[in-house]
Amino acid sequence: MTTTAIVVCTWSGARGEVLEEAEAALTLGRKVSVALGGELQWLVVGAMPEGGAEIAQRQGVAVLENIEDAKLAGGQADAFVEALAQYCAERSPRLVLFSQGFDTRLVAPRLAGRLGSGVVVNAVDIEAAADSPLKVTASAYGGDTRVVYELAGAEPCIVSLLANAVLPESVEGAASPSVRNVAVDLSSVEERIRVVEAARTEGPRLEDAEIIVSGGRGLSSPDNYKLVEQLAEALGGLPGASRPLVDEGWVDSSRQVGLTGKITRPGLYVAAGISGASQHMAGCGAAKAIVAINTDPDAAIFRYARYGIVGDCLAILPELIRAAKK
Amino acid sequence: MRIVVCVKEVLDPDAVNNYALAGRLEIGDDGKTLTQTTIPQLMNGFDEQAIEAALLLRDAGAECTICVVSVGADPANQLRHASALGADEVVGISSPVAEPDAHVVASLLVAHIRSLGGADLVLCGRQASDDDQGVVPALIGEALGMPVVTVASSVELADTSALRVTRVTPDGDEIVEAAMPAVVTISNEIGDPRYPTAANKLKARRVKPTLVGPDDLSLDADALAPRVLLTQQFVPTVQGNCEFISGDTPAELADRLVARLREDKVLP
Repeated sequence: MTTTAIVVCTWSGARGEVLEEAEAALTLGRKVSVALGGELQWLVVGAMPEGGAEIAQRQGVAVLENIEDAKLAGGQADAFVEALAQYCAERSPRLVLFSQGFDTRLVAPRLAGRLGSGVVVNAVDIEAAADSPLKVTASAYGGDTRVVYELAGAEPCIVSLLANAVLPESVEGAASPSVRNVAVDLSSVEERIRVVEAARTEGPRLEDAEIIVSGGRGLSSPDNYKLVEQLAEALGGLPGASRPLVDEGWVDSSRQVGLTGKITRPGLYVAAGISGASQHMAGCGAAKAIVAINTDPDAAIFRYARYGIVGDCLAILPELIRAAKK
Repeated sequence: MRIVVCVKEVLDPDAVNNYALAGRLEIGDDGKTLTQTTIPQLMNGFDEQAIEAALLLRDAGAECTICVVSVGADPANQLRHASALGADEVVGISSPVAEPDAHVVASLLVAHIRSLGGADLVLCGRQASDDDQGVVPALIGEALGMPVVTVASSVELADTSALRVTRVTPDGDEIVEAAMPAVVTISNEIGDPRYPTAANKLKARRVKPTLVGPDDLSLDADALAPRVLLTQQFVPTVQGNCEFISGDTPAELADRLVARLREDKVLP
């Protein structure tokens, strides 16, 4: 039996996910559940995040569900897909909505394959109406376009919500959600992928940074990237880069901001010598304030920026370092 | 071992991006297709890097047959390119569905891989630069019961039956091992794909890709029923509201910007 339950699924073991994004997915899930007259459920796989109950209440979640199993502790995709497949077989939700991170980017389509469902990742919005297919808007061409997909196929529909696409909105006076522990049997699961050497996060992460200074092609040579690092340090922030610098081997890929790199949400983002390709803006568009420095007054980056300087970043950056230290 | 590399032809993403940066990207009358004829078609960059990953395995001494497969209406150009790069077999699969979604594409690829008697390794690009979805590799893995290792910057043989893969994760590089058969998706960090030699390019001109149709594959109706239908495409608008800082010298511009940021409490 298919229900109209809308399930937002977050996975505590997944990488690159932020609680704010879970909340954004709950806001979108609530919109869909209101349109379809269904119940909004939040399924937390793995450990319940701190403050989870409060978030569930202010997002109008009816049921807060939890799957806990030792096999789900950290990033094991086979166990996760199996747990979700069992959950969906038992509950038959209408929609399973993920907040997209590195791991959910894989497990969402795997789950769809397992269930015969339609799946859309990089989603930015969902339109729902009774008796019609869900319409999912997603980013395409690195953010240059948006596409609208209609979802057919078996239910549940599976959608993965791009970070920074939806602003979390609270509801007033919602009742506190009921809590339900969901039992799954993962005894037969043996992970087929074995981690030989775990990734090590070294130092603070771009995803958490309050201030980021990024450089692009306008830096002209690898040596000049040190100006970006120095300004970041002077401002108490972290250095980032656009994809061309990573592709050229000037900087490590852990510095890359963009759709295929880090999705960041700093208070201040300084873009030096960056043209403002959609691919890059997907990783910094949610910054509260963007400062753009570019020689081309028509560069796309100025359409996103709150403050702009038309000029050569190689001349401006040293002066900014000096001014920031004052 | 048999390596199957899945490739897709896309509109040149740099050309699309240049039109977008100039604010001149247009959608056709059907409301969903980019129709600018000046944008060339080419092999998806990540897929070309997936071929590179296969060639690197061969360079490292793996005895392998490299089979490059594409689903699409006119795969000849990109398959000749694959052949010039060193693919042993090039296969074009035509879709009976006019607008195949990831599920239909994966079904066709899976049916073809089965008809070959399976594969030890399926390599794909991490995502296509048109729809950015990256869903097909996961669907192939599920259908064939293979583990799926995503976003790889290097693929090596750990021994005769297992792979050692470096993945580019948000927390840095992760090294994993998985028994074959497996699906691996390749990211740009693997490095630039090689160029075919002039001699191989000439030779490839005469190569005729093997064409496979749905009748050659055993597929049921569900395998060919799209789950995801593209109904609309549009160019998002950005509200420009930039305050340009003025000044005569870099020093003046920098001082004014920092003062403005402090005034607006963007900086402490």
